[in-house]
Amino acid sequence: MKAISDTVPRPHVPQRSEPDALLAIRDVRRAFYGLDVLRGVDLDVRAGSITGLIGPNGAGKTTLFNVVSGLVPPDAGSIRFAGRELAGASPEAISNAGLVRTFQVARGFPRLSVFQHLMLYGREQPGESLAAALFGSAESRRREAELAERAWQIARLLNLERVIDHPAQALSGGQKKLLEIGRALMAEPQLVLLDEPTAGVNPTLKAEIAHHLRALPARGITVLLIEHDMKFIGALCDPVIVMAEGRVLAQGGFEAVRADARVREAYMGVRA
Amino acid sequence: MDAILQAAVNGLVAGAILALPAIGFTAMFAVLRFPNFAVAAFATLGAYGGWMANAWLGWPVVAALLAAFVLAGAAGAVTQRVALDALRPAGPLTVAIAAIAANVILENVLRFAFGNDLLGFDLPLARDVRFGSLRIGPQQIENLILAVAVMAALFAFLAFTRIGKAMRATADNPDLARLKGIEPRRVELLAVFVGAGLCGAGGMLLGLDTSIDPLTGFRIVLSVFAAAVVGGLGSIPGAVAGALLIGLAEELATLAIAPTYKSAIGFVAILLTLSLRPRGLLGERAY
Amino acid sequence: MTGWANYLVFIVATGGFYALLALSLNLIWGGAGMVNLGLAGFFALGAYASALLTVNAGAPILAGIAGALVVGAIGGYVVTMSTTRLRGDYLAIVTLGFAETIRLVANNEIWLTRGSDGISGIPGPLKAELGGWFNAAYALGTLAIVALVWFALRRIDLSPYGRALRAVREDEQVAQVAGKRILRFKIEAFAISAAIAALAGALYGHFNSYVAPDIFQPLITIYIFLAVAAGGVGRVSGAVAGAYLVIFFLESTRFAAAAIPGLAPVQHAAIREMLIGLALIVVLRWRPQGILPERIPPAPRPQSQEAT
Repeated sequence: MKAISDTVPRPHVPQRSEPDALLAIRDVRRAFYGLDVLRGVDLDVRAGSITGLIGPNGAGKTTLFNVVSGLVPPDAGSIRFAGRELAGASPEAISNAGLVRTFQVARGFPRLSVFQHLMLYGREQPGESLAAALFGSAESRRREAELAERAWQIARLLNLERVIDHPAQALSGGQKKLLEIGRALMAEPQLVLLDEPTAGVNPTLKAEIAHHLRALPARGITVLLIEHDMKFIGALCDPVIVMAEGRVLAQGGFEAVRADARVREAYMGVRA
Repeated sequence: MDAILQAAVNGLVAGAILALPAIGFTAMFAVLRFPNFAVAAFATLGAYGGWMANAWLGWPVVAALLAAFVLAGAAGAVTQRVALDALRPAGPLTVAIAAIAANVILENVLRFAFGNDLLGFDLPLARDVRFGSLRIGPQQIENLILAVAVMAALFAFLAFTRIGKAMRATADNPDLARLKGIEPRRVELLAVFVGAGLCGAGGMLLGLDTSIDPLTGFRIVLSVFAAAVVGGLGSIPGAVAGALLIGLAEELATLAIAPTYKSAIGFVAILLTLSLRPRGLLGERAY
Repeated sequence: MTGWANYLVFIVATGGFYALLALSLNLIWGGAGMVNLGLAGFFALGAYASALLTVNAGAPILAGIAGALVVGAIGGYVVTMSTTRLRGDYLAIVTLGFAETIRLVANNEIWLTRGSDGISGIPGPLKAELGGWFNAAYALGTLAIVALVWFALRRIDLSPYGRALRAVREDEQVAQVAGKRILRFKIEAFAISAAIAALAGALYGHFNSYVAPDIFQPLITIYIFLAVAAGGVGRVSGAVAGAYLVIFFLESTRFAAAAIPGLAPVQHAAIREMLIGLALIVVLRWRPQGILPERIPPAPRPQSQEAT
């Protein structure tokens, strides 16, 4: 694990990437209307980890997610994912490469059912062609049946079976959060970016979500998540990356990060 | 050569008049974030408002222009409040569709009241002014001056009055404007009043040297959209530039193609702009 | 046939053309969240394509209709190509402009379209053989085609393709992040939709045996929006029901307006058009889901239910 003293010095010197980094971000920059939101971000996400991304509001965490998922192209820098350069690629190409994100406000398809949500996130959909839709195809039917079975399994796992035909807009806040995790499971990504997976949910559900997330690495899914709940982060994430003012301030184990004076000053001091 | 110069002069005058509804359309878009397709009816309504003031009440042109502005502006504000505001949660496209429906209603109110006959303003006949081989009608000159005066008044309003500044702030960033304590609903209603009013003023100027009927606004609506899109949807200076360009292009094109195809120029301009530079000359991003 | 029977046949056929237009609009509006404000233009495009192919080029009627489908799809592709990356407002503006341009061309390219005189003598299928029964048979045939298109669109609706389209409608960005190629979906859907509108036009022309620019008023687009909104946006059957509802509404307002004494014909027409606009606003405001609201297809229950 990288010690805190290794974090980015100024002026900027790009880090060497860790050998087992699934996602390696180097010197990623992005400005909006002349305002530097990302000012040279370097970070690695180790395969099989649950990495936490924390930092005060305005640190650039969500923007970083937007850049990594392709919604906002970076002004500069490199994003290597599983050996491929993704900087500037389209969102659908990034998603199809195995990097899937969820959204903070449980955005999605309000009038589609839980089942339809899950099905949409299945990879390889031969049925999504006009010819298959009009004339039917054996391959499409086979894949639909496979995906449907997985969707049911995931719905059961997440206790969404009862609401499987309900439109997403009719779900409770907690159920929406579970559906987000379900979508990630359905997509079988190598890496999932979760934006505040427990924002606004009660402690019981929080524990349930933590339980589901903890099971992801064993299924081959690496997790990078933004979260404000320090207890949740402490219990689930290793390592923890701290961002402030568009840069990575520190990264390491939760306790080590928490002990770091700069982090306390930038973030925890304010909150604790 | 003379023909080109003549077409250029005609084009600039037409463009200056076109600029008024184009500004109106783009300003309403900038503040309310949906394309108000009722601009055609607002322009026609303004033309009839001005005509009633002129032909029935005998008002002079400048006073009639004010009447055109106020009548169309009021129609815009009432339409917004009564028909469109409630639909905004359903998304901008739904509001735009309702605006077309409102356009049909307003146009037919006029048709019901005045029929389909052509009506002309009560103006003294005047001989064209000649500059060498160029011919310019005095009405053209007056229209140009009036259009420029209306635009100057608008720019002064936006630059110097508090409510004008609030309108610009809301157009730039509604969230920020709200933080500054600007009440969005008031600003929106004013933007519709001014925007529709400008359409009305433009509609009347269009009718001044020809005639008016219930389709007066409809005939120029493609050029209005083209001006706004070419200039950059949401940008007022862009709409002025776009209107002058479209006016020029339409008049110059008549040298090469049948004049009946004038309004197809607007469509081609829209397609070209959106394919090559969707944000237009001076607009913001379009996606 | 008696006058009333003829009237009924006319209503059934016209409702069929409107139903096709409504199915066309529903595919993109309900399916992908796009609008086509130039529906009347695509209607005209198809009518002219088939009329010109059969009258000027002497092609068989089926070839004319096939030609209309192709021309419509190409028109749809051209219109969406420049705007699919942009916000929906731009597509709305472009489609409006497209319809006007079609009308201009139809009015002015006299060598091709005979201008405002229109094209007459468009052949109808088996017209000589059917004699007085032609209109009734044609109306039934139109209904059969409506049923066929309804069936195909329902298949699309319930397929993974339709599911992905709906995702595009709900949130383009999220759909993209879910790995959907939204541009492909939008362009394909719009091209098919435009082809269906063109089909409606071609069928109209062979029924009416005459097309002219003034037939394709922009108001038709409003009728179809009213049909889809009233029937239920996103519901294939709703589009058909809505089309006949609009026909009923149009015909009853015709009689109602005529019953008001002391009005000129132009005033009757004005009242009817006002009522149409008013109806559209009222439906959007108070019954946006229509009479047949969109349904969520239930998830197929897994066959291998483990015993619990």
